[in-house]
Amino acid sequence: MLRALDISTSALVAQRIRLNAISSNLANMSSVRDENGELQPFKERFVVFQPDEELRTSHGAVGVKVESVRTETVEPNYRYQPGHPLAIQQGKWKGYVAYPNIDMMGQFVDALIATRAYEANLGIMEVTKNLSERSLRIIG
Amino acid sequence: MLPGLFDGTTIPVLQEVLCFAQARHNVLAGNVANADTPNYQVRDLSLENFQQRLKEAISARARQSASVSPGMLSQSDPGDAMRHVRESTKSIQFLDGSDVGIEQQVTEVAKNQFLHNLALAIMNSQFQLLQTAISENV
Repeated sequence: MLRALDISTSALVAQRIRLNAISSNLANMSSVRDENGELQPFKERFVVFQPDEELRTSHGAVGVKVESVRTETVEPNYRYQPGHPLAIQQGKWKGYVAYPNIDMMGQFVDALIATRAYEANLGIMEVTKNLSERSLRIIG
Repeated sequence: MLPGLFDGTTIPVLQEVLCFAQARHNVLAGNVANADTPNYQVRDLSLENFQQRLKEAISARARQSASVSPGMLSQSDPGDAMRHVRESTKSIQFLDGSDVGIEQQVTEVAKNQFLHNLALAIMNSQFQLLQTAISENV
């Protein structure tokens, strides 16, 4: 019974990490430099989940953990801004500025899903706690 | 006060469990309070250690055919399960050097509360049994 609480907790942690990644994606929607200051548009972060075998119960229920945080590999969003100080100077994209290619709607939907999943796991934890409290009533 | 009244029951053992649950609750509350403290490491009391020592104490008393008395665990110092607070690094450390996961801590508090309530419920029914015996009402 108490293992169920651990499993729900692992899901809470995983969804919180996912929500953090989504916030970072939205916050960096217009970041044209990367964290080292290089001219490289921000790449969208994806959090990849994986069943956590450490939280396996004897009946086969498993928890969840974050396998890795990966970055997207799509083309940046080129906008023609020849007067921009960071505009590309030569080649095919001369005069363009490379912006991150982040789909705002998609991020919002993901944030909503992560929030609902967090709430669902909180609900399960409530049920688990109720169950264990009820079982105490057998004693008295 | 009436030595031996509780000897036939499990009340002294349950008392130790309650003491442990309360001590552990304090430690866990400290973890939640320090959720944003840089370099703070999660602290905990070992439930396994406590249960192991409780088991040893019960079987030692059973061999001497004496009863389990309150405070028997806290008397012996080395590896005292009630006071041995350890710092553990179970989860990933954040950039500020702390590793408090608020969800895990709250879950541990809930589990600890369940242990506390369980011991309390059993203790209650033991007292009711004694009450019935004293009042001779069935």
